Amino acid sequence: MWILIGLIVVVVLLVLWGIALYNRLVKANVAVDEGFAQIEVQLKRRSDLIPNLVNTVKGYAAHESSTFEAVTQARAVGEHATTVPEVAAADGMLTQALRGLLAVAEAYPDLKASQNFLALQEELSATENKIAFSRQYYNDSVRTLNTLIVSIPTKFFVGMASVKAREFYEVPDAADRNAPTVAF
Amino acid sequence: MAVSFRAEQASNQRKTWLLLALMFIALVGIIWAVASLFGLQIYWIVPLAVGISLIGVWTSYWKSDSLVLAMTQAKVIDHENAPQLFNIVEEVCVAAGLPMPKVAIVEDPAPNAFATGRDPEHAVIAFTTGILKVMDREQLQGVAAHEMAHVGNRDTLVMAVAATTAGLLAIVADMGARVAIFGGGRNSNNSNPIAAIIALVILILAPLAALLLKASISRKRESLADATAVQFTRNPTGLRRALETLAADGTVVQQRSTSVAHVWIESPLDGKSKSMFDTHPPISERIALLRQMEGAGPAPAAE
Repeated sequence: MWILIGLIVVVVLLVLWGIALYNRLVKANVAVDEGFAQIEVQLKRRSDLIPNLVNTVKGYAAHESSTFEAVTQARAVGEHATTVPEVAAADGMLTQALRGLLAVAEAYPDLKASQNFLALQEELSATENKIAFSRQYYNDSVRTLNTLIVSIPTKFFVGMASVKAREFYEVPDAADRNAPTVAF
Repeated sequence: MAVSFRAEQASNQRKTWLLLALMFIALVGIIWAVASLFGLQIYWIVPLAVGISLIGVWTSYWKSDSLVLAMTQAKVIDHENAPQLFNIVEEVCVAAGLPMPKVAIVEDPAPNAFATGRDPEHAVIAFTTGILKVMDREQLQGVAAHEMAHVGNRDTLVMAVAATTAGLLAIVADMGARVAIFGGGRNSNNSNPIAAIIALVILILAPLAALLLKASISRKRESLADATAVQFTRNPTGLRRALETLAADGTVVQQRSTSVAHVWIESPLDGKSKSMFDTHPPISERIALLRQMEGAGPAPAAE
């Protein structure tokens, strides 16, 4: 009798433990999805800032057309990117192009002093920071999930939870890993 | 020597649990002391003390966002009022994976900031007008990260638990002492004088010990918030520079009410010399620790 009760208790505890491990994997997987969605939200916000920024700079430096073109092109590439490496590549390209645009702005003191430009610059650097932080959050979530997938005992539940190892978000050019420094 | 923020976080979390455990031991000790001094008939003290202490602390915990806002006269703002500050808080929320809190400004020339609220969904973080004036973007980001770390680590809850236990101890000890003085002791059935002396000593020392433990927990939560801030921004430099500015600044926020003192990033009450009752670790030690974190860990992710 007591042996039977003991067995039932052990089985129930084992099942609860299994459920907890399964849920941990599912949660880690959801965190990765959320992290990637956050990156996309922030990239979209940066993309939305661009027309305004380009127009403001154009008002002072109309002849720097190649810089504007690079920005517009990079922005267009980002709009069609879907997979993690594609989005990361487009992100790096746009960061590079924006760096060029800000470098152009450096040469125009009137532009640099304008209220509109200063406000845009603050929004841009805040968005760059958010992009950097959402990458960091995403990569941390991927690291957590990928570690769980190969660790004992969670690895035994990988099939049941149908999760798989995910890709890190890596910006192609090493120099792009940090957001451009926007001086005030 | 380089220190990693993860090791700092783990060590402070561990010490918090240890200190809370010690507080519960002190609580059990004092209940035993009261019981052995006055016998079982005095047990009504315990539920009464639990009731009083729970009601006081938990109403202020539950309403902490609106209470602290009212006590400090902080004004809640949005993006229009202070775009840069609002952006900085949004950035830190993205890094922390936490919902956006209410952001508030306190009219006060002394640079300082605080966070409160019962959970991340009801969090408020506030900055004084003084801190906005003296700090640059990187420093404010460090401060915002420290405050969001308090939110993420549920420090309002941790301190409410600590305050409840300390309050409980004080009430039981106080009632015990009154009964002892005003003659409740004559009903005592204890026949062991040594146990009586030990019980009396516990009665006197336990509330003091509880206060020390509470202050100690508060200091651990501050160190933890510093380390968690580094986890969010991966940039110890911003917070370190912010603390240096706070250390160099002599002014103190005008609100010196003890009930909100522990929430500020720089304590308005702690004296210049180190004391066991301080709610914050000495600012020089916090700066030194952040410097060590600058020597470790990955490169800053932003700024």
